[in-house]
Amino acid sequence: MTSLHLRVPAGVAPDRGYVVATESCLPQHLGDAGGKAVGLGALLRAGQRVPSSFVVTVAAYRDYVASGARELSPAMRKAIGQGYSALCEQRGAEITVAVRSSATVEDSTEASCAGQFRTFLGAAGVGEVLEQVEQCWLAAVEPQVSSYRAGRHIEAADDGVAVIVQELVDARAAGVMFTQHPRTGDRSLIVIESSYGLGEAVVGGEITPDLFEVNRITRRIHDSRAGVKAFEHRLTPDGRSVRTLPVDHERRQAWSISEEHVMALLALAGELEAGLGRGLDVEWAIGTTAGAEGEEALYALQVRPITTGPRRPPAASPNLAAVDHILGRLAGQRPGTGAR
Amino acid sequence: MKQGRRSFRDPFDIQTPPGAEGWESMYPSYLQFGGELAERDKQKLWFFDQMHNPEPLYPFDLMMPESWLVSLNQYTTRVWNLPTALGIEHRIVNGYLYLSPNVIDDPAMIAEREPVFLERARHYFEHWDEIYANWVAKATDCIERLKAIRFEPLPDREPTETVLQARGTTTAFDLLTTYSRYLENMHEMAYYHFEMLNLAYGAYLTFLEFCKGHFPAITDDLVARMVAGIDVILYRPDAELRRLAARAVELGVGDALKSGAAPDVVAGELQASAAGRQWLDELEAVKDPWFYYSTGSGYCHAKRAWIDDLRPPFAALADYVRRVERGDDLSRPLEALRAERERIAAGYRDLLDDEDAAVFDSLLALSRQVFPFVENHNFYVEHWHHSIFFNKARELGAVLVAAGLLDTDDDIFFLHRYEVYRVLYEAEARWALGVPTRSEYIWRAEVARRRRIHSALEKWNPPPALGVPPETVTEPITVTLFGINSDTIDRWLAAEDSDGLDDSFGGLAVSPGVAEGVARVVRQVEELDELRDGEILVCPLTAPSWSIVFARIVAAVSDGGGIMSHAAIVSREYGLPAVAATGIGTQVVHTGDRLRVDGNTGLVTILERAGVAAAGAVGA
Repeated sequence: MTSLHLRVPAGVAPDRGYVVATESCLPQHLGDAGGKAVGLGALLRAGQRVPSSFVVTVAAYRDYVASGARELSPAMRKAIGQGYSALCEQRGAEITVAVRSSATVEDSTEASCAGQFRTFLGAAGVGEVLEQVEQCWLAAVEPQVSSYRAGRHIEAADDGVAVIVQELVDARAAGVMFTQHPRTGDRSLIVIESSYGLGEAVVGGEITPDLFEVNRITRRIHDSRAGVKAFEHRLTPDGRSVRTLPVDHERRQAWSISEEHVMALLALAGELEAGLGRGLDVEWAIGTTAGAEGEEALYALQVRPITTGPRRPPAASPNLAAVDHILGRLAGQRPGTGAR
Repeated sequence: MKQGRRSFRDPFDIQTPPGAEGWESMYPSYLQFGGELAERDKQKLWFFDQMHNPEPLYPFDLMMPESWLVSLNQYTTRVWNLPTALGIEHRIVNGYLYLSPNVIDDPAMIAEREPVFLERARHYFEHWDEIYANWVAKATDCIERLKAIRFEPLPDREPTETVLQARGTTTAFDLLTTYSRYLENMHEMAYYHFEMLNLAYGAYLTFLEFCKGHFPAITDDLVARMVAGIDVILYRPDAELRRLAARAVELGVGDALKSGAAPDVVAGELQASAAGRQWLDELEAVKDPWFYYSTGSGYCHAKRAWIDDLRPPFAALADYVRRVERGDDLSRPLEALRAERERIAAGYRDLLDDEDAAVFDSLLALSRQVFPFVENHNFYVEHWHHSIFFNKARELGAVLVAAGLLDTDDDIFFLHRYEVYRVLYEAEARWALGVPTRSEYIWRAEVARRRRIHSALEKWNPPPALGVPPETVTEPITVTLFGINSDTIDRWLAAEDSDGLDDSFGGLAVSPGVAEGVARVVRQVEELDELRDGEILVCPLTAPSWSIVFARIVAAVSDGGGIMSHAAIVSREYGLPAVAATGIGTQVVHTGDRLRVDGNTGLVTILERAGVAAAGAVGA
């Protein structure tokens, strides 16, 4: 059991620690706030532009499960309701949010279960928010999730799910970015996948996104491939829910983001690595925040370490002089291996 | 990657093109496929040396490949004792040169050679700067001795001095011994050519492979930019033109240079004014050595140097004068280029973990130390020395014309250098006899026959490779200079399967960027006049001295060449996307085709055939 010493959002009663401020989620809080919250906390502390959010902790989930998973207690309702109201007060309007599971195992590098947990886009009003938080909890206890975890040898004691309630970005385009090549481990490339609308179309593998590989040293696009963006998830005109729209033929094959956007993402990759270390998997969106008439901007929505095991070349022998490396190569050895 | 063992055409199944029957008699038999070695030769890979000899070999010019057959390969096999490589073999097929590397795979032999190699190569690396300084002195001395060689027509009668000094031998005897010295001079330079080249390429290749291991997506061009020198001799000829253009504007004589008239007309106009004469004096001052700059690879006499044909430098001057008048600063921004080079290197270095970064630093430092040799030897050997060498051959040709054995100065290039010995001897005999001999008829007829064969061979399209490819190619010269690796071979095999009818083909990405435009296929420097602004140059080999072209084209595609070929270096300098070593570009692309050239991936796509209406626009 880990104890929770996290700062609660302004205006929220510190009642049983059900709700905490995202920026206070540190790596050691993984078991209480989940990986997504830890990633978001790091983004916030790094000064990145991130939609506002709060975290419903694992403690709330545990109490919910202990109660027989039938209904939210008044204390839970109060804490979550106050968390949501605080977000709305910041904006001066009732805002539309995304409600996502933040699992304590989800973002660990040992087992990438990305996408196995629940995300609901477009909850507006306290009632919908409470309902979607409960849906995340219910998803976490579903058998297929449990067996998936069992297959990956994750201790049952680590179980538990937090939930993030985050202001939804009215995304014109969104997607994911890897700060090194996820397959080859090439650190000189960032890889961007992008499509129209909210990022779920990319994250969930629903469409074929546009692909950009950018050389971070020359700042040139190394390779690009236009995807087939058949549809997009967009906010409804009233901003209170999300609907799926077809993408017309012309836009389907056009680029979903401009070269300026690609360069902005490249800059973001550099800033994130400087603060958080190498090898990051970032979810991002370009758009305005829901309910506000704000300027369009690039938002970081999520960040986690890349979980695939990239191929690395065999370690070089730093004790050998350059001449020895070269003589070895000319003598017919394959680079780095000492073997022919 | 490869399924089964695929192969190219059997070298023993190649047909002689019509009109070229008897081509074999122009070249030595030891360089031709023959029955004795058929079983062995059929099982090897033979790749076309498009890079140095894009055209059918002239028998005299065969001196060049024959020199390196001896010098480069002696270094590999006998001097350095490279543990895993023996010499690169030559074969001539329908007049075109094919090469085949040889590997050692017997572990006992490798083990036996290794200590010898390590000791010898280490000596060169550890004394590199000193050896290179001495190399420059040797190369320059060799060039000076070549310049001093004179071939003069045999006089009507032996000069009186022969008698007064009681010399005993005659000017005819001198002609033969001078010719011998002349050949020895070329042979000597061939040794210098390869004295340090294997090792320098090896250093570069080690760094390249290290970079590719850590950064699989790194392009050869970026590695080259980290290593390449900024202020190297190879750029000097072009730099001198830029400077002369600025001087012409200062002196107020730019209009004459812009006129586009023939160089002698322009010079005549300049002679009329004091400022013009001043400019001409300054031009004369830079000609030696900077105009000893071949318009080709330096391996073929037909590609003249600037010193012999002022049209290419004058065309460039006209363009540079226009740019100076527009206010462009033509000087190369050396500081900016240096800073860019350091920025790239630091960028990659900073992505490595500490231990790897230390290796990166030491390999980069050593690559940079040895690389000036790679860049500069090209000017000393291929441009400066070879240009003089071919001009001396013309001088000798004139001697044979005066002796009545040949029709034109250039006839000599249709004779093998050892046949020239015979012709010289027969000229001496004719001179001795003072009466007609059959020589006057025999050699003229032979040259006429060979000219006919040579033009028939020119019409043949040599395939990029013959025979059976090996599992892997790792020999440093083959990989670095010729750009031959497993990918190249796969591409060529694929192209052969599709009979070149595919709408795209690949090559080495040697200079980054993507461009679309109309193709202009240029096989000879003379055809460059037809090129229009904004076109894509498709050629056998982009020679650096086609400088005027690089300012006007949007991309370059060459059949031959590697990342460190002269072409690649200059394309990068001009910031043009370039793809080299396609093997088939000039065969499958026609002038007027619309192309897309991707200098990042090496892919060339034929978007639209000349004369075919657009079926649909292609998105950028």
